[in-house]
Amino acid sequence: MTHVRRAVSRSATWQTAAALPLLLLMLLPPVRRTIESSMTAHMLIQYPCLMLVGALLLKKLPARWLSAAQRWNELGIAGLVGSALTLAVLMVPRVLDLALVDARVEALKLIALAASGAALRLSWQRAGVIVQAFFLGNMLPMTVVVGTLYQDSAARVCNAYRLDDQQVLGIGLVLIAIVTAALWLLHAAMRRTGNDATYPGDQDVVQAALRQPQRGT
Amino acid sequence: MLRTALSTFALALLGWWSAAWITRDFHAWTAEGARRLIVIEQPVAVPKVALAGPGLVDADLHTWLNGAGRATIVDFVYTRCPTVCTTLGSGFQQLQHALAKETTDGVKLLSISFDPAHDNASSLQQYATQWRADPNRWAIATVPDDYQLQRLLKAFQVVVIDDGRGGYEHNAALLVLDGRGRLVRIFDDTELEPALNYARSIAQREAGE
Repeated sequence: MTHVRRAVSRSATWQTAAALPLLLLMLLPPVRRTIESSMTAHMLIQYPCLMLVGALLLKKLPARWLSAAQRWNELGIAGLVGSALTLAVLMVPRVLDLALVDARVEALKLIALAASGAALRLSWQRAGVIVQAFFLGNMLPMTVVVGTLYQDSAARVCNAYRLDDQQVLGIGLVLIAIVTAALWLLHAAMRRTGNDATYPGDQDVVQAALRQPQRGT
Repeated sequence: MLRTALSTFALALLGWWSAAWITRDFHAWTAEGARRLIVIEQPVAVPKVALAGPGLVDADLHTWLNGAGRATIVDFVYTRCPTVCTTLGSGFQQLQHALAKETTDGVKLLSISFDPAHDNASSLQQYATQWRADPNRWAIATVPDDYQLQRLLKAFQVVVIDDGRGGYEHNAALLVLDGRGRLVRIFDDTELEPALNYARSIAQREAGE
């Protein structure tokens, strides 16, 4: 038991050691300004990096909090819904412009990104393939739609960014959606074939589904 | 599962509320759209800035705009601009043409350059000549003081960025200001008729007061 706990704390230490410099780098004013001077870097570098920081720092939270959070997050549903909505709101073009001129919006945006990264990690394994598919089935088409709009729009959607930058971001968003879909399908297929090792979450979903009609009869 | 349903519902509410806040109740998805809506609800008073240009020496913008029965259509430009300002320039020329038939001089035009470093008196004069600006209708000016210029751009949410080719990209539009020096409505740079009609209507309304 002790060596398990030590291994857990060692991996948490390693993750904190990676997360804190990344967080500081992202918050450092010149770096932040440079990243935010490009629409593409703003969304495709800053967003994922802060989500990664949130995910890495998750295990630093007291275990009591995490298990308490999980009671409100069965099958990871609350966490995935929360992070899907957060990312959807943060893709509204006005957010990018507002974050540059309003410090409150910028602060909320940075916190929301880290929180959604943490929520994704907290919920992903528990979700199982079915809930994951539901999450990605919403997120990825939305990303493709936004990416296509950014590529096709003749007008700039952000006052602070150039049209060519917006088009590059559009291509990037579509590519990310395609790559994520491909990786997830591969991952899900490997889980299925590998010794029938389904996710704990899937068993919950299946059992819940099986239980349902019995109650009816 | 009840607790998960509750927390999911709470998060969905929070998401809905933040989306409604950001998009101003789902009416504006871009900063430009929001700027135009906000101005309608809350007119923006011009900050204290001094103008300079052909026929204008240390003119105060607020005083210049001021007057009962006055309205001004303002655009922001830089005279080297090859693209969007050409649209604005020819648009203002058409507005001037439409206004020339009027007997009252309630509605005026004002082009403000946000590039005082390059746009000195002679560049501005050249711009006026290029577009055949009638000095009684259409003033062309810049704000020489950088601090004052930034305050003006910030108040009106005019965002000027580098276009990567030595020029600027900016959210060009037609800004209608009333006789009390307040920005009251923003139109697309192609919406000449609506902008002119709106400026006329507020000039008449204020003249009647």
